[in-house]
Amino acid sequence: MRSLRQVARPWLAYVVAGSVVIGVYFLLPFNTVGQAVLYDAIGASSVVAVLAGTTVCRPAKRTPWYLFAIGLAAFVVGDVIFNLYAYAWHRNPPTPSVADVFYLLGYPFLAGGFALLILDVRRAERRAGVIDAAILSTAFGIVQWIFLMARLVHSADRGLRVDAAYTGMDVVLLSGLAVFLLTPSWRAPAYRMLTASLAFLLVADEVFATNPNHYGNASWNDALYLLSYVVWGAAALHPSMVKLSTRRRGTRPRLSTPRLAVLTAALLTAPFVLVLQRLLHERPAVVTIAVGASLVAVLSLARLAGLVRAVDSSRHQLESQNEQLRAADRLKDEFVAVISHDLRTPLTSIMGYLELALDSDAVPEPERGYLKVVDRNSARLLRLVNDLLFVARFEAGEMDLTFVELDLGAIVRQAVEESLPRAAAKAIRLTGETDDALMVSADRGRMFQLLDNLLGNAIKFTPEGGRVEVRLHGDGDGDAVRLEVSDSGIGVAENDQLHLFERFFRASNTRGGTVPGTGLGLYIARAIVEAHGGTIGVDSRPGKGTCFRVDLPLVREPAPSAAEFVA
Amino acid sequence: MRDAAPLVVVADDAGDILALVQTALTRAGYEVVTAGDGEAALRLIRERRPALALLDVSMPKLDGLGVLVQVREDPSLAGLPVILLSALAQESDVERGYSLGASKYVRKPFSPRELVSIVGEILRAG
Repeated sequence: MRSLRQVARPWLAYVVAGSVVIGVYFLLPFNTVGQAVLYDAIGASSVVAVLAGTTVCRPAKRTPWYLFAIGLAAFVVGDVIFNLYAYAWHRNPPTPSVADVFYLLGYPFLAGGFALLILDVRRAERRAGVIDAAILSTAFGIVQWIFLMARLVHSADRGLRVDAAYTGMDVVLLSGLAVFLLTPSWRAPAYRMLTASLAFLLVADEVFATNPNHYGNASWNDALYLLSYVVWGAAALHPSMVKLSTRRRGTRPRLSTPRLAVLTAALLTAPFVLVLQRLLHERPAVVTIAVGASLVAVLSLARLAGLVRAVDSSRHQLESQNEQLRAADRLKDEFVAVISHDLRTPLTSIMGYLELALDSDAVPEPERGYLKVVDRNSARLLRLVNDLLFVARFEAGEMDLTFVELDLGAIVRQAVEESLPRAAAKAIRLTGETDDALMVSADRGRMFQLLDNLLGNAIKFTPEGGRVEVRLHGDGDGDAVRLEVSDSGIGVAENDQLHLFERFFRASNTRGGTVPGTGLGLYIARAIVEAHGGTIGVDSRPGKGTCFRVDLPLVREPAPSAAEFVA
Repeated sequence: MRDAAPLVVVADDAGDILALVQTALTRAGYEVVTAGDGEAALRLIRERRPALALLDVSMPKLDGLGVLVQVREDPSLAGLPVILLSALAQESDVERGYSLGASKYVRKPFSPRELVSIVGEILRAG
């Protein structure tokens, strides 16, 4: 065992050595003692390889591999007994012989090993795999019985009836192979090797069954049996064999195209066999086909039920997740409403009593100045509460808009007028220029909020002594109105312009606490403009100034006479 | 007997705000009686026959809207101006207040100065 561990790749060494010996086997004269000894030696070596691999690789569960070793050992004993009849005792073996007993004993052990490996797979995956395998095995069983076994079983020759037992065992073996192939998605080399050796054994048996009755005689078919031994041993020696006994997570049985093709073929087997028998002018095996087809139908139904249940359960899961999300959303809305209410109530006292205090002459400087700072900051806090509430409602799709036809020019003039004190405080020249009677369908409060946001921003980001201009004009075609608010402020870097209208975004030159803000103002501006079917954009050069453009659909163009009249 | 100052009933469950409104209105020359909940406000309105009522919307026992509904159903109180005060600022809340017959819906926080001028306007118009 120690030396095995020192060989870099024991499995590869074993495959190479085994293949060389198989080559030598076919170079030797057929049906000689030498061939017989080599055959038995290869078989015996596979048993040793499986045991050695199991000991060295230490899989979590060893029982399946011990069952493989027992099954292979039973085959080897059968081989040896046949060879003893041929070369030591020089007579034909009786039918059935002790060798047959050992051979037939081997199959259940191999199938049992596969079954144990599969038991470690997740339940849902296993169920689907087992049903698919059962469908496939039933289809194979129908063909096997009708075209091979029935003839052998009903034959008068006892030897042929023993052969029938082998073909029966092949159905067992195929079930094992099918379950193994269709169940999990282990893609480990050990998995592929096991599958391959099982396939070799199965094909060899089938070839043998179509032309039996020469036990002990060497043939090219022996290559498949010998390869089966060698690859089996190599699978056990490959380090990836430990993965076959670890439970896999997260994979669901998929109805892949190859699997669907195989299942479709299995489902179509019964009618196909019926047609084939008709073409071959055989008596149709009605009972076999009926029983097999019914079994396949029942199994397909079970598989379908499993799929439907899986879909149902994931749908329920989705629905309950959806419900939770809706509940969370309601909770958020309630939270925002409560927070808004509970912040406004204390703010009412703070701002109201401040006003009372500042209205009286009893407060001297510098205390009066202190109170004004409190007042200014209370106003900021209130704006923040209002903005957050607006965003929460907007995102919940609950922006209350009352559309009326209104003269946007009048709103612009009002907003400019109300911003004059703020501009004057920074010695900023604030000017407005509007066409008259530009009628838009809009919410009066929101339009004012939009202008207030844009003007507030412009004043906030323009240094003392700068200028802010508001212009409102109809476009030439008479279907839109353009509002521009431009300033000579700090500007917006090009990188930032892309994100300017995003929630909580603050341009790089406004961060760091010098200019207060939450990054909600322009997000709200865009929300308002878009709710009115308009667009908002920005032009800016850092250090030079910024111009915000708002385009809104126009309801009615100013009548030229009216404009003249006002002018 | 000199002309009595117009009587205003003010109701709010927040004592600070109640006192704020009372102070502002008293300074402006109104006589003010206060209530801490809707039932007390309704009782005061029926007993004292004020010139105007100022009601907070969210109050215990009977909310401002409930008081408003009862006032509007009472023919003997016909024409009583009612101003609603509320920290609920959603448009739908405002619309609901007006549809129930409020003379004015004032959002919290409000400027006491502006509140006084609103009261004055409504009383002059009435």
